[in-house]
Amino acid sequence: MLASLGQYRGVIALLVVFVLGCVYTPVARDTGLPIFLSLRTQLDILFEYCEYGLLATGMTLVILSGGIDLSVSSVLGFSATLFALLTVGYGWGIPAAVAAVVACGIVAGLINGVLAARFRIQPFVATLAMMTAARGAAKLVSGGIKVQPAAQPWYRLTEDTPAFFRWMTTALPGLGIQPATLLFLACILVMALVVKHTSYGRKLYAIGGNEEAARLAGIPVARVKLQTYALCAAFAALAGIVNCCRQDIGDPEAGFTFELDAIAATVIGGTSLMGGRGGMMFTLIGVLIMAYINKILSLNAVAIDRRMIIQAVIIVVAVLIQRQRRG
Amino acid sequence: MKRLATAVAALAIVLAGCQAKKPEPVVNGPGKEQARKYVIGMSQCNRGEPWRVQMDTDIAEAAKAHQELTVLFKDAQNKAEMQQSHVREFIQQKVDLIIISPKEARPLTKPVEEAMDANIPVIVLDRKVEGDKYTCFIGADNVKIGREAGKYLVEQLGGKGDIVELKGLMTSTPGQERHNGFMEGIAGSQIKIVFDADCQWLEPYAQREMKSALSRFPKIDAVYGHNDPSAHGAYLAARQEGKGREKTIKFIGIDALPHEGVRYVKDGLLTATFQYPTGGREAIATALKIFKGETVEKTITLGTRIFTKDDAETGGKPL
Repeated sequence: MLASLGQYRGVIALLVVFVLGCVYTPVARDTGLPIFLSLRTQLDILFEYCEYGLLATGMTLVILSGGIDLSVSSVLGFSATLFALLTVGYGWGIPAAVAAVVACGIVAGLINGVLAARFRIQPFVATLAMMTAARGAAKLVSGGIKVQPAAQPWYRLTEDTPAFFRWMTTALPGLGIQPATLLFLACILVMALVVKHTSYGRKLYAIGGNEEAARLAGIPVARVKLQTYALCAAFAALAGIVNCCRQDIGDPEAGFTFELDAIAATVIGGTSLMGGRGGMMFTLIGVLIMAYINKILSLNAVAIDRRMIIQAVIIVVAVLIQRQRRG
Repeated sequence: MKRLATAVAALAIVLAGCQAKKPEPVVNGPGKEQARKYVIGMSQCNRGEPWRVQMDTDIAEAAKAHQELTVLFKDAQNKAEMQQSHVREFIQQKVDLIIISPKEARPLTKPVEEAMDANIPVIVLDRKVEGDKYTCFIGADNVKIGREAGKYLVEQLGGKGDIVELKGLMTSTPGQERHNGFMEGIAGSQIKIVFDADCQWLEPYAQREMKSALSRFPKIDAVYGHNDPSAHGAYLAARQEGKGREKTIKFIGIDALPHEGVRYVKDGLLTATFQYPTGGREAIATALKIFKGETVEKTITLGTRIFTKDDAETGGKPL
């Protein structure tokens, strides 16, 4: 167990961050107990970061293949808006709305994949275009407003959002964990198995490691890339649904700049931006590190100026710790 | 390993540096009752906007006069989900009172309810939450401010003239209200809006739109900017045109921040600016009342002040 942990250098960084959290914690004013160590805080940390976590799950697949996907933040915003529109506006049931939103996400991902794999447009450029287009689509379907009950006269729901919204974001009794958090954990754990133990996963590493060699070895590079971008966008769509439930509103601007956090979590975890090296469990650690840093800074009410600098320092430190593995 | 140790040490130092400036929350143990200390949690939705920075400044300055108060400022960087965690953190920390200036009503309604359920009073500033589960709402009246701006221009132009309206983001309620109020203010006069544009509160956009207006209309008597940066952008556009029209056109704006609108008025760039008060001082005054056990009004509507060259130095004139 310890030996297998050894390859996850990120665990050290995570422990360092955790210790810092214990040292710099404000205390509850009535009981005097450190807030950082309370069970509620610990459970909230993952919940608050689960949208980024879902994005990072998909981002890891794309980065492993040697690509990048800048469009996840806009796909998130589009999905949040569409999900609110279908449920609040048109009064659809939850399963149908989820299916429709994920399907739209997959279409966006397939377009990314076709542009990157078939037309050989650099992933950075192809997904940059999708980032702009999906944001525009979000504003288009909502008519430029935030989707909430009675925002338009024809909306089916006029009083409150569907009960599903609150259920997703409220801790399950007895378990203390929100369904949204469970969704993220389930997604990343399943993808960890897929990446490690299926032929799709092996092809992904092969393409990211050396695309030309993978092609010569008979791996269907274009198809694997299509699948990868589609999966990434599907996770972004799920993140959009979570965002909509959490905000209780379909905001066309939702997710702005989230793609950078998703990339940062992936890289901090230890997945190489060059592709072919890293893995899903690394990203889980990266997500935890980012979530902990944010929580510690927020708990201490650190002012934004210093906060940004500290975040930058921590990212560099985490990556340095990673690099020792190879040094 | 050495590099790792150095990096960790550096990190600890940086964090410690931040810690040094952080006011220590006070634990009220038994036997420490002689001077009751109060901790107020303040969640600001976006310190990227100068007006909101001013709100925090107003709160900090008002609180400084009362030694028993400590205010913890948090900035949500324009993210509603971050503001949700702010409120929950304040609840865990058991602060005595929460002040929140929400980014959006719906997402913050539930957290504010949770705070009220935990017996923590909540003062909502500027933008409302849904329902009525909060202690007090403090906000200004954009319709009134727009109306005063309209009436002022009617008076200044003698009841007639061609004007340009540089609007704020028209999908937002402040933009709509500043427009509607202004239309009420100029109703019945012969003032005509010959050109208008949605500048989204941004000075560069206002400057660009004003250039179009200047090239299309040889006669412009006044410019109504929905905020001071818009009015200032329009002034710069007129000056860049090089025909000296910036001296004849009257530019008026809204917000009247000390380092922004009020300064432009003092420097003679704008004719007038109308204050959109932040409510920061009123929030602290209300908090003190709540701590004393006094009842406070559910809704406090703030007045506005006009700043012109004559009275900008002396703090403007209430309207």
